[in-house]
Amino acid sequence: MIKIVNLHKFFDHKHILKNINLEIEEGEVVALIGPSGSGKSTLIRCINYLEEPTSGEIYIMGRNIGNLGKKIDEVRKAIGMVFQHFHLFPHKTVLENITLAPYLTKKQSKEEAEKKAIKLLETMDLLDKKDAYPTSLSGGQKQRIAIARALAMDPEIMLFDEATSALDPEMVGEVLNVMKDLAKTGMTMVVVTHEIAFAKQVADRVIFMADGEIVEENVATEFFENPQNPRTKEFLSRVLEY
Amino acid sequence: MNLVRLFVEYKDYYITGIKITLLLSLLSLIIGTSLGSLLSLFKLSKLKILRLISTFYIELVRGTPIMVQIALVYFGSYVIMGVNMDAFLAALIAVSLNSAAYVAEIIRSGIQSVDKGQWEASRSLGLTNGQTMRYIILPQAVKNILPALGNEFVTLIKETSVASTIGVAELMYTSKIVQSTSYQPFNPLIIVAVTYFIFTFTLSQLIGLLERRLAHND
Repeated sequence: MIKIVNLHKFFDHKHILKNINLEIEEGEVVALIGPSGSGKSTLIRCINYLEEPTSGEIYIMGRNIGNLGKKIDEVRKAIGMVFQHFHLFPHKTVLENITLAPYLTKKQSKEEAEKKAIKLLETMDLLDKKDAYPTSLSGGQKQRIAIARALAMDPEIMLFDEATSALDPEMVGEVLNVMKDLAKTGMTMVVVTHEIAFAKQVADRVIFMADGEIVEENVATEFFENPQNPRTKEFLSRVLEY
Repeated sequence: MNLVRLFVEYKDYYITGIKITLLLSLLSLIIGTSLGSLLSLFKLSKLKILRLISTFYIELVRGTPIMVQIALVYFGSYVIMGVNMDAFLAALIAVSLNSAAYVAEIIRSGIQSVDKGQWEASRSLGLTNGQTMRYIILPQAVKNILPALGNEFVTLIKETSVASTIGVAELMYTSKIVQSTSYQPFNPLIIVAVTYFIFTFTLSQLIGLLERRLAHND
């Protein structure tokens, strides 16, 4: 589904990603963890080309997305992304937020897009908010709407870039539950997260990054029970301390 | 009472002046805003040459008085191109070109004031650059810049008075004629000031109305 080969990324002279090689299968849920500044957000943003790699290749469903030019939009339609700070469109209602992209890029009729949006809002238990503007929503509600907005495009892959980091603690659960349900449907997911418990429960595979490199990766149970690399051990001991 | 009598007595002059001022303002506003939008896109372009062109243009226009610009267009068209340009057309060109520079800066700042995350969210959903600009960025930018834009439009209306210096028979010019024919130096100025104020006040009220209507999602 996703294949990354010899990926490097520089910001000016800073080497952010160092020779990343990674393959993610269809239906797999992969958690990316690691300290701040380790490059995990940059990596996930390279997958839909919000960041352009300095060198290396990224294949999405067999297509090398580095030489697509404007056709990158085609690939982006198949990849949903959820951001730390939601980035809902503040001038549009909840319903418009969800229907805009399917209507514009998939040539769906307004009715068709709305029907789908209403269904998504129902599963998120947010149907009563459909005519509200984003500013009137709580963080947890905003993030669930953002997930619904991405899902309305029927993506093959979902990327979560610290989707719960900006939320009040009592709202983290409602968003994680939506993500958990989504994982059960067989969605391919790449999740940058600080929620170790979530990674433990939901992820098939866990990747630990530090200083722009993949330090260790393993199936989730094995990763947490039996970490190999000393840096992984140190990181886990620190985040699991409390 | 003297003022009203004066206005009625010269109402044909005044009405012509008002018509020309309004026409000049409206056309300059449309042309200036269109051209300004284009210049703002130049300024935000990835191409260095376009950025340079718009920066050069904006700095040049902002750094010279409009009275000089208007004269340059009017007399320059004859000296450089040998065309005897109609004074109204010269004023229209000068005021539009002048306003475009200010509008360009206002729109540029408005576009840049929209959170970068909006671009990313929109692009991640597969919208093109153009669609993102049109449906996501510009509506938010316009809302942010409405007060500044309103200010610029008010300025534009007032600055059309400079057209009187090249003989366009707009409001200010009318006022000068009434001053000399009625032998009243002061009262015609009051009339012209009040008239300009009515125009600009109406416009700023309209913009304020629009602002409040767009504020529903704050």
